[in-house]
Amino acid sequence: MLTALVLLPVVGAVIVLLVPSRRREIHLPLGVAISVLPLALAGYVFADFEPQPGMQMVVKASWYEPWDINWHLGVDGISLPMVLLTAILVPIALGASTSIRHRAKEFVAHTLLLEAGMIGVFLAQDLFLFFVFFEVILVPMYFIIGIWGGERRVYAAMKFFIYTAFGSALMLAGIIALAVYHSAQFGQASFGLEDLAGLDLSLGAERWLFAAFALAFAIKVPLFPLHTWLPDAHVEAPTAGSILLAGVLLKLGTYGLLRFNLTLFPEASVEAVPIMGILAVIGIIYGAVVAIVQPDLKKLVAYSSVSHLGFIVLGTFALTSGGLQGAVIQNVNHGLTTGALFLLVGMIYERRHTKRIADFGGLQKVMPIFAGFFLFMTFASIGLPGLNGFVGEFLVLVGSYATLPVLAIIAAGGVILAAVYMLWAYERVFTGAPTIEENKSLVDLSPREISLLAPVAALVLIIGIYPSVLLDKIAPSTEAALDRVVAQTDYEVPEPGRLGDVFVAEENPS
Amino acid sequence: MTTPDVAWIAIAPEIALAVGAALVLLVEVQWKPPIRVLGYISGLVLAVASALTLIQKGLAETAMGALDTGSLVAFSGMVVMDGFAVFSRLALLGVTALGMLSGWSFIVRQGRRGAEALALVLLATAGFSIMVASNNLIMMFLGLEVGSIALYVLAGFARERSESDEAAIKYFLLGSFASALFVYGVALVYAGTGQFAVLDLREFFQSFIVTRPAVIYVGIGLLIAGLGFKVSVAPFHSWAPDVYQGAPAGLVGYMAAVAKIGGFAAVARVLITAFGDLDGTWLPVVAAIAAFSMLLGSVLALVQGDVRRMLAYSGVAHAGFIMTGVVGGSTEGVLFYLVAYSIQLVGAFTIVAAVGGLSEDSAIDRFRGLAKRSPALAGSFAVLLLGMAGLPVTSGFIAKFGVFTDAWISGYEWLVIVAVVASVVAFAFYLRIIVVMFMDEAEAIDDSTRVGFAVGAVVAVAVTTTLVWGILPGSLLQLATDALPI
Repeated sequence: MLTALVLLPVVGAVIVLLVPSRRREIHLPLGVAISVLPLALAGYVFADFEPQPGMQMVVKASWYEPWDINWHLGVDGISLPMVLLTAILVPIALGASTSIRHRAKEFVAHTLLLEAGMIGVFLAQDLFLFFVFFEVILVPMYFIIGIWGGERRVYAAMKFFIYTAFGSALMLAGIIALAVYHSAQFGQASFGLEDLAGLDLSLGAERWLFAAFALAFAIKVPLFPLHTWLPDAHVEAPTAGSILLAGVLLKLGTYGLLRFNLTLFPEASVEAVPIMGILAVIGIIYGAVVAIVQPDLKKLVAYSSVSHLGFIVLGTFALTSGGLQGAVIQNVNHGLTTGALFLLVGMIYERRHTKRIADFGGLQKVMPIFAGFFLFMTFASIGLPGLNGFVGEFLVLVGSYATLPVLAIIAAGGVILAAVYMLWAYERVFTGAPTIEENKSLVDLSPREISLLAPVAALVLIIGIYPSVLLDKIAPSTEAALDRVVAQTDYEVPEPGRLGDVFVAEENPS
Repeated sequence: MTTPDVAWIAIAPEIALAVGAALVLLVEVQWKPPIRVLGYISGLVLAVASALTLIQKGLAETAMGALDTGSLVAFSGMVVMDGFAVFSRLALLGVTALGMLSGWSFIVRQGRRGAEALALVLLATAGFSIMVASNNLIMMFLGLEVGSIALYVLAGFARERSESDEAAIKYFLLGSFASALFVYGVALVYAGTGQFAVLDLREFFQSFIVTRPAVIYVGIGLLIAGLGFKVSVAPFHSWAPDVYQGAPAGLVGYMAAVAKIGGFAAVARVLITAFGDLDGTWLPVVAAIAAFSMLLGSVLALVQGDVRRMLAYSGVAHAGFIMTGVVGGSTEGVLFYLVAYSIQLVGAFTIVAAVGGLSEDSAIDRFRGLAKRSPALAGSFAVLLLGMAGLPVTSGFIAKFGVFTDAWISGYEWLVIVAVVASVVAFAFYLRIIVVMFMDEAEAIDDSTRVGFAVGAVVAVAVTTTLVWGILPGSLLQLATDALPI
């Protein structure tokens, strides 16, 4: 089942490549059709998933026996939402790429390969396999930015690749070290996450391994001060690239911190709480402040990502129920809202070929539906109660207040700043009367574009009103992760820290 | 008086290659057939040599199974027929076959002189083939020289280009100097131990503690320098960029690959087998060479404007990575890396030659917009470059992973850290070529790049093995693991 989820997009990419280049009109529709299949499968996995801790639907097959590398996939409450998010965003990203006519075949193939990598990375339960997916993702994304991006695309693609590759290179050393430790302690090398979690590491070893892994993930997130690749990559990437970059690729970092750093190096994680917390909060405030002054809509959304992702890292390292649940659900929320915002920016860019805020004004008169969607996503992004952003940020703030009160209070300031930059941007772009001539004749969204945005908007609303649909499945796994940290270290969750259960539904009466 | 028992099979593949080389020349002189016929003869010679090597493989496995390693030593301990030699020899023969196909259009262009090129290729392979199987330092030197001299001539084979002459002279002068260092090293080791044979040396160091080891240490140092030159590790790499640039493009990949396979097989045999018990002395030196090589090669490759020079410096970096495997002390990682990299190298130079066309031009501008002119060639080159960069799903990743793990286990953690940093630097220049091929919209050269059958076949083999061994490394890794030196 999970194997099919990873391999379907690969097969799809091959099928697309086999279509002759001159049948240009069918590449994109075919790509969308193919990417709906993993979505259906992911939906089935989601429905079939039992709200319990531990890996489910595990697939394990030996890949290379002597090194004990396995094709080992599994899904739990932490990876499940990410897999679903990926499967949702890929068809949308492809559907938004009608403006790509130049080498459309390769574009679709690269996007599908990217999807395979992204799903694989969330499912992998073997560190070797995880690393393979983690690195393989770079290649299609590199091509997507570098071939179909904006003016400085080559520079941005290179920067993206080298930054991330540098982080993962040290993680590779860390993975090798873990396998060697395992072979020293148990007489057999292993890359399995469960096996490695059972290692007895000295604190010194834990510290540097934590650093090696955290560096790789912090670059991905990106955590301040490693974020400089992000605005370049986002601004230059085509719309689909931006959606997937913000929606999924950044989450590799936050997911990795939660899945690998907390599980494998609990003691070092507890020690690192202040550092990670402070960096996260700097990112929240810094990203928000820089976003305020951006003259370019896409850059504004990019910097807002730095800020939002800071919340996720803060929630993760708050080490409370609320913080962890908030982090996982905020992964999804940010993917949906920021993905939709990039989609919206892409739509206006296709019409006006500019992303500069100053070139717009009064658009809500000309494009009411567009303005409506933008406002809705703006509210979701700044955490208006009733929409998804509120759930995640509230959980993170409640959760982190228990352990890091000062940081939580400062982070709350980030929520206010978010309102400032988003609403101010909305005001400048949409309100008033259209003053610039080109803006007066803009066409509102087509049914195709509405059909891309509507499902995301629906999900934003559903999660906002009834978060249990996700939290029920997330909570057992985050609780298990927290229990593990508590069991392995002398860290204790402070009393209100477990209060994050407010959103967890009652026990099933059955 | 009894005649010594001569196990001809131990050197049968080399005999086949040498006789084949002579045959090609004689047939050419006598009948002046079309060059195609000589190509078939050479192919047949390679097939015979491979078949003989496979017979050796069977014998070696039987003997190893029966723990009768003595029967694998032939000619009074001059050559051995162990799994290590057989594996390296198969790699050499495979690379030679690919190299001949890769250089085929060049050989055809040489007219009647093409026969000489074919004979030289067969002779070079014969030399390196005896080198990987030699159990004796003098024998190793003979193999090294037979192979190297053939390569010097091949480097200067494109007489119409002055770079080719320059390459040949440089390669010859510096190469001879390195050979001299190697011989001097052999002499000093002999002076210190009284032994020439690898197995005897191992026994010597196992049984005796040397109280005045200075002369032996200097000897080992000279051996490392001499072999280091052949495999182009820094700081013995200065010849590589000029030779890679000047020699015929179709043959450079082959020349570099056989020299690396022969050289590293010798390095592994000498250091790991003969001086394995002295590893305290040479490990730090080799580790330093490896680190220096990886960093220098990767950084200098960044600033090259010519794809061949870039691949030359990347070759310096790769030599450093393979040295990391030697530091790891396991022949398995070294052999896997050698095979994976050699095939990628030959494939890459085949593409460079095809793109360069008759002018043999390899400036990076020549690759501008290649993805439009020839998507298949550009795509294949991208796969090979990513393979050399060591991205997962390619054999290059498995190879790097193997040598890193070995080095980590031996306690050279710092070297692994240097290696992963160097690999990231290396990403940058491999990506630069990909950028030029795929992302530059600038005016493309409108030379049509025609790809003949031979080029297509080599590229297809290189790309397929890169991906297959990247996804399912088991088959080759198992072979490499079994290929132990005795």
